[in-house]
Amino acid sequence: MIVVDTPEQAALRAALRDLLGRGLGAGAPAGTLWKRMTGELGLTGLAVPESHGGAGAGLAEIAVAVSETGRVLAPVPYLSTALAGYVLGYGEADAGDAGAPGEFLRGIADGSVRAAFAFAGPVIPAGALTVCGGRVSGVASNVLDGACADLFVVACDDSLWVVWAGDARVTPAGTLDQTRPQATAEFSSAEAVPVTGVSAAMAADLFRVLLAVESAGAAAHCLDVTVEYLRTRSQFGRALGTFQALRHRCADLAVEVASATATASAAVAGAADPGVLGPLAKKYCADVFWHVAAEMIQLHGGIGCTWEHEAHRYLKRAKTTQLVLGSPAELRRLVAARAGLF
Amino acid sequence: MDDSSFRESVRDWLAAHLPVELVGSGGPGREHELIAERLSWERTLGSAGWIGLGWPAADGGRGLPWRQQAIFYEEYARAGAPGRVGHIGEQLLGPTLLAFGTKEQKKRFLPGILAGTTMWCQGYSEPDAGSDLAGLRTRAAPGADGRWRVNGQKVWTSLAQVADWCFVLARTDASSSRHHGLSCLLVRMDQPGVTVRPIVQLTGTSEFNEVFFDDAVAEPGDVVGEPGDGWRVALGTLSVERGVSTFGQQLGFARELSAVLSAARSSGAASDPALAARLTDAWIELQVLRFTAESAFVDGASGVEPNIVKLLWASWHQRLGELAVDVLGPSASVCGPSYELSDAQRLFLFTRADTIYGGSNEIQRNIIAERGLGLPRG
Repeated sequence: MIVVDTPEQAALRAALRDLLGRGLGAGAPAGTLWKRMTGELGLTGLAVPESHGGAGAGLAEIAVAVSETGRVLAPVPYLSTALAGYVLGYGEADAGDAGAPGEFLRGIADGSVRAAFAFAGPVIPAGALTVCGGRVSGVASNVLDGACADLFVVACDDSLWVVWAGDARVTPAGTLDQTRPQATAEFSSAEAVPVTGVSAAMAADLFRVLLAVESAGAAAHCLDVTVEYLRTRSQFGRALGTFQALRHRCADLAVEVASATATASAAVAGAADPGVLGPLAKKYCADVFWHVAAEMIQLHGGIGCTWEHEAHRYLKRAKTTQLVLGSPAELRRLVAARAGLF
Repeated sequence: MDDSSFRESVRDWLAAHLPVELVGSGGPGREHELIAERLSWERTLGSAGWIGLGWPAADGGRGLPWRQQAIFYEEYARAGAPGRVGHIGEQLLGPTLLAFGTKEQKKRFLPGILAGTTMWCQGYSEPDAGSDLAGLRTRAAPGADGRWRVNGQKVWTSLAQVADWCFVLARTDASSSRHHGLSCLLVRMDQPGVTVRPIVQLTGTSEFNEVFFDDAVAEPGDVVGEPGDGWRVALGTLSVERGVSTFGQQLGFARELSAVLSAARSSGAASDPALAARLTDAWIELQVLRFTAESAFVDGASGVEPNIVKLLWASWHQRLGELAVDVLGPSASVCGPSYELSDAQRLFLFTRADTIYGGSNEIQRNIIAERGLGLPRG
């Protein structure tokens, strides 16, 4: 499957890259970027049905935005909120008027509601989060963007439920990657609304697809910055980029970034059935992101190890992405099992 | 015709025409097998119109979009149809003539390629000019009769033993150096001045040859492009190498991987966590290779996609060769009394060449760094 931007997607990409390039990333007043992304560009509502205030587009459009927020590690809960719009809207399309999550969609579409996904573990162990009589109980840790969430999409065994943050006990965590906060969310018989049409496993796989897209975008940025540095930084009287040992390493990184980008796009295109592609793409793209970010630091030398330089933020995001929602080893086993290799 | 009817038509035709003894023959590492039968298969393909699918209709091709060409190669590989003897003519010389040839040259040479009756080999590499092609020494000069006389040696020439013609890159300006003063000459193989000597490879078989030119003759009109413009022509040839046929190649890879997986299951190697991880990674990376190869054909490609895809597949295939013997354990260390190799052993040995021919991994990295990333030259 081949994916290229449609004219509308290309326009979306350009508008968002322009917005993100205006210094609204890390360090800007909290909330400014979010307001522009949601109010001005309507990005959280991309996949929300038009009847609920969204744009009625799909995962492909969200993926365009996620690859751009990934490039700059925009400190906004975009991925999980937009995916919640897709997942809740997905059920809505099937359920018609009976779809209860409809009440959440308008807030997601206008940016007033931020969402996070509560998974009980990296590959969802059975029984950690349970539902009984429409009430959710249990603990989810490492909830990405959980600290600022207004609502949680909770994966209980194989069903999905929506819980307002006010009905959960949320404990923010300090995080290695400061551009994406995490929290522990505890539910004690919390009132919950069922989501129809998307299983818990599918939600996790779609989350993995978007993490793959984000990783590919971020890795591309790391390579761009590194190549630019090697073009201009001079040692021994010549540009570093003229040394073959470094050129060949960059070429290998370019191969990795190109293949990760293609893989993430294929996973988006195949998102109707993400059981194999979700874990496959997340594993491959997060591994590539990790390698490119680590090489970014090495190829920058000393400056790459400083707090001031952006490289460490990518390294931390890359490692965090590898560790959450299934480590490389866990996802490899998941792919092997789902593809029936052994 | 839409893609799925086209796929159906390829599949039906192959089912009706592919001789059973050719199934699985002639692939990488076995290009020496069943040559006469495979030459006849080329004519069968040609007469049914399966050669030159992507060539312009005006030049005798079928002008099909790349997606349908890819479908043909996929179905061809799925059916286990044999390694092509005519692929150098169809995929290298033909496109070179389409880009640089005169009207007369196209008229003389393209029909034989399309009919599957004229076989070609490529005379580029030399003993002292491998990765550094511009260092080549084969020379050609006009004789008293106005015809070219070619002298020198080429090496790693696939299928030279069956080729009717060779396209030779030679130095036609004796005072020139490097990539100046080269010309691309079309040289008939069946003449006294041409000697072919097979090279025994590490598999014990011979798919490559040395070709010696001793006053070999080429007609004055058989220069592709202007004399002295051979470097540009050669770069054109190299850029089409490994185009859309990569999709058929990947189906072959999938078949090989599935044989390795099945061997790992029966030998018990699959229950070794380290081997299981390598096998799963191989499976994952084959999907990644397919996605990457497909993305290389979309608009807006940066130009180094073929180099990226070559690096990916060559390294992947080589690792698969290592896995193929690793999952078998000690039994993969013994072979037949006359060095008869199993498929796994042949895969293991032949794939050492994958990262060298068609532009070594190192050359691909040079190209990606310079043309893809724009890193400055030293």
